[in-house]
Amino acid sequence: MTTGKSITLNALRKSWGDTDTLKGIDLTIPAGQFTTILGPSGCGKSTTLRIIAGLEEVTSGTVQIGGEDVTNRPSSARDIAMVFQSYALFPHLSVAENIIFGLRVRRMPRAERDRKLAQAADMLGLGQLLDRKPSQLSGGQQQRVALGRAIVADKSIFLMDEPLSNLDAKLRAEMREEIRDLQKRLGVTMVYVTHDQVEAVTMADQIVLMNQGQIEQVASPRQIYSTPETLFTAKFIGTPPMGTCAAPALGIARDDITVGIRPEALKLDNAGAIKATVGRVEYLGADAMIDCVVADQTLACRLPGQTDLTPGTAISLRVGPEDLHLFDRDTGQRRADVPAEFAPLFASQDTAPQGPHTSSIER
Amino acid sequence: MDTARRQWIYAWLMLSPAMAFLILFTHYPAVQTILNSFYSTPRGRREAVWIGLDNYQTLMLDDVFWKVLANNFWYAVWTIPLSIILSLAMALWVNDKIRGRGFLRMAYFTPTVLPLIAVANIWLFFYTPGFGLIDQIRGLFGLPEQNWMGSPDTALYAMIAVAIWKEAGFFMIFYLAALQTVSPSLKEAADIEGASRWYYFRRVLFPLLMPTTLFVSINAVINSFRLVDHIFVMTEGGPNNASSLLLFYIYEVAFDYWDTAYAATLTVVMIAILILLAIGQFFLFDRKVHYK
Repeated sequence: MTTGKSITLNALRKSWGDTDTLKGIDLTIPAGQFTTILGPSGCGKSTTLRIIAGLEEVTSGTVQIGGEDVTNRPSSARDIAMVFQSYALFPHLSVAENIIFGLRVRRMPRAERDRKLAQAADMLGLGQLLDRKPSQLSGGQQQRVALGRAIVADKSIFLMDEPLSNLDAKLRAEMREEIRDLQKRLGVTMVYVTHDQVEAVTMADQIVLMNQGQIEQVASPRQIYSTPETLFTAKFIGTPPMGTCAAPALGIARDDITVGIRPEALKLDNAGAIKATVGRVEYLGADAMIDCVVADQTLACRLPGQTDLTPGTAISLRVGPEDLHLFDRDTGQRRADVPAEFAPLFASQDTAPQGPHTSSIER
Repeated sequence: MDTARRQWIYAWLMLSPAMAFLILFTHYPAVQTILNSFYSTPRGRREAVWIGLDNYQTLMLDDVFWKVLANNFWYAVWTIPLSIILSLAMALWVNDKIRGRGFLRMAYFTPTVLPLIAVANIWLFFYTPGFGLIDQIRGLFGLPEQNWMGSPDTALYAMIAVAIWKEAGFFMIFYLAALQTVSPSLKEAADIEGASRWYYFRRVLFPLLMPTTLFVSINAVINSFRLVDHIFVMTEGGPNNASSLLLFYIYEVAFDYWDTAYAATLTVVMIAILILLAIGQFFLFDRKVHYK
């Protein structure tokens, strides 16, 4: 049993020629927790992970693991194990040899090696497959072998670079749970890179959202969803993403503010202050997504699937003050306060009748 | 006519041009060579006559044959492993991210592009006693002149050096191609486990290159019998057959002495040796080779 170590990145920069991939990353990853680094392609999340692993050199800044500066240490001296996106299994070695590769490198006595192999194989259900070659395994089984190699290494930190991206949807959901369980059971610090927000939200204790070589927000899944600190975070987290529009479109004279409203927070209400026209209607089974055209802008609204709204219908919508996200138009930063100009949006809604959805349609 | 039959005729029609040339220029001469080795050489008015194994008996008693066979043995023993090791080392080097990588790759490959006759001319300059490149360098250290190609002790090794120089660049290309199919994440995974460069090479990279090594080594074996052009230009097998090889001897017997039947006998022996070596290599390697 190992215990996790914390990771601290200080003013981390990485450049390739003229391209700045990381533009100053300051981050603390707490010990024994599950942290996902989330972001769109090319945001620098994999580079960050590879710098933690020691596979890339930093341009400037430091990496600390367990309080020790490891910036110039080789990968093998950083107390980390890594699972690669491609799994990086040695194709000519059997499953067993792949798992104990590192133990052989460290010349571990045979008895101990066999014990660890049996333990890991048991944990991952690989017992029947130990003599096979990686090419004879399915994607999910290969993934488990890669996990096995990390488990027997007895390291404090597990680094995972998009480990599930090569699996089909069903298997991915299974492995998500399995990896989450594994982290809990081993008590290691997990750093998990993904571009899939579902993975990030379902697995993580802490999400680090990156964009263009910088950190946008570090928060728990709930917090990052409920209070996105930037416009980018607001639009990135949530499926479908948060709808945004300029404040003047809602009839509020503040053109320095961008308003964000989650689709489920917009409610049909004929006393509602937001007057809109139905644009596209997308039927999703249990739900339907409605594009609500407000002035020249569009807000998405989630309604029950049996809605009979048709494009072109005029509707009224309301939103609660707690569901309103306001961002500075120029910096994209969240505004803590709700300026007085927004009061008319909530004016009548406390007294408005809470009728069925159909009653709020004005034909 | 049913479709299967029509397909069958169609297939044979497609194959026949290549087949005709293959039979005419490879299979028929091979069979004819084997037959010729049991006949005497036709001369003037005397037709070739069946003499059974007489040619093979001559061969057993031919000192020059044993000499060139021994030469060829040493030629193979040195050129095969050295050219393979050298080519692998060069490939590993130019596969790394280093400055001037493109130039190095081209430089290493140049000997392969040059015809062996041209290569031989370059090396003639290197070996020339007195003012050749090697002797000039030796002169700097006060070492005496050395006639590399004229001395029976060194002539064969001078030829071996040329062959290795010529071959290594060619094999390097195959190793380079194979190295580029190896995922870089394997090296990273090994690094994280703390494997040294040598450990990674021995346990991962070299086993993954085995199919290439098999291919290259079979080529090297064939070339060790086949690459004799430089001997024509540089030593003509001399001095006293010190640098003569089996194929060169076959040429001499066939086209200098016009003893075609005996040349056919020598050819049969050479082909038999090559076939045995190729089969042996396949059996030896096959268990160890991991094919993707």
